[in-house]
Amino acid sequence: MPRIVKSPLLLLLTPLLLTECHVVAQGAAAQAKTAYGAREIGGTWERYPTPFAGSGRDANAPPAPAPVPDPPLKPEHYGPWRAAQDEAAALTRAGQPPATNYTHCIGEGMPGMMAAMFPMEVLDTGRQITIIQEAYNQVRRIYVGEAPPPPEDSEPRFAGNSGARWEDDTLVVETTGIKEHVGYRNVPHSPNIRIAERISLLADREYMQNELTVTDPEYLTKPWTWTWMYKRWPGYKMQEYICEQNLWSADDAGAATLTIDLETP
Amino acid sequence: MTKTALRFALLVVSLLFATAASAHHSFAPYEAQKQIKLVGTVEKFLWQNPHVYIQLRGAEEGQEERLWLIECANPGILNRIGWKFNMVKQGDEIAIAVAPMRNGQAAALLKAIKLPDGRIFGNGGPAGPATISLE
Repeated sequence: MPRIVKSPLLLLLTPLLLTECHVVAQGAAAQAKTAYGAREIGGTWERYPTPFAGSGRDANAPPAPAPVPDPPLKPEHYGPWRAAQDEAAALTRAGQPPATNYTHCIGEGMPGMMAAMFPMEVLDTGRQITIIQEAYNQVRRIYVGEAPPPPEDSEPRFAGNSGARWEDDTLVVETTGIKEHVGYRNVPHSPNIRIAERISLLADREYMQNELTVTDPEYLTKPWTWTWMYKRWPGYKMQEYICEQNLWSADDAGAATLTIDLETP
Repeated sequence: MTKTALRFALLVVSLLFATAASAHHSFAPYEAQKQIKLVGTVEKFLWQNPHVYIQLRGAEEGQEERLWLIECANPGILNRIGWKFNMVKQGDEIAIAVAPMRNGQAAALLKAIKLPDGRIFGNGGPAGPATISLE
């Protein structure tokens, strides 16, 4: 049985007290927004800066990272790679873009998946950090406190096999075991490819940066490094991405073509 | 910045976005500059990945009616700009701004849609904005 408030003064003050509580709660919420822990990488994120619709920008936004540089491929690999890139660009300008893994509804794998073309969710459960990309429902699991298997023992996968450790407040992730045909920007690699990531929070911990370094002495003259950044998107609910009916395929010449008859996709 | 300069700056940014690859495939098979208005009846509405599709029996003004396949972004992008999975229904009379396929197929990339209730929605950043009016 609830107690009935009998005091007229209390009744008079109640709306004021509630308002005060509301203000205090708002203040706490505002404070909480910038009170993420130094290692609190869990949550939903969007690529920063993003060309897609997102949660907007703010005055605290850090400078955008530099574009990903061309890969420092050895000359015998750079020439064919450059020629293939130029040919693909020319075909695209002509309206006949070559089919890619995307066309076939195959996700990027590592490291391309960390570009976070669509929103990204990070789940930190201590010994394991799980990263889910909305694009193609891609998932990678990073085992904290473990090293990845050496390349010769690392089962080739799209996301590879990742181990990590905390260095102060930076999560240092190492990945081995990338499938041969999983090539970010079509860059070839050997079974000995290694991807290192240094993941840390910045700008009031509202942003996260990922400094990536790809090493592969068989193909690269030096480590290939770049940075991707992400912005928190609190409250965003990740959506599923299952290629249910793909009307795009490759024709005999390898160009992406659309089937427009819905009865026989 | 004058209004004209601002419009030009926005157009340049839009074109950069329009040429960016979508998550699933390049939009290069569609006309980059040409947009047309189609009016017709929805025969099918497929809310699915990797793309949402509208099958439209309709025509450009003064042209013969055809069965068009209209490519939209994916459910994720569309949800983020305010679409709903049940927003378009079979039998709806709609008007759309689209970029037709360069190869003459009866297919096109959606730029904007006007629903029977008058609401207008775009097709997300990667598809680029409508440059023709649906009003």
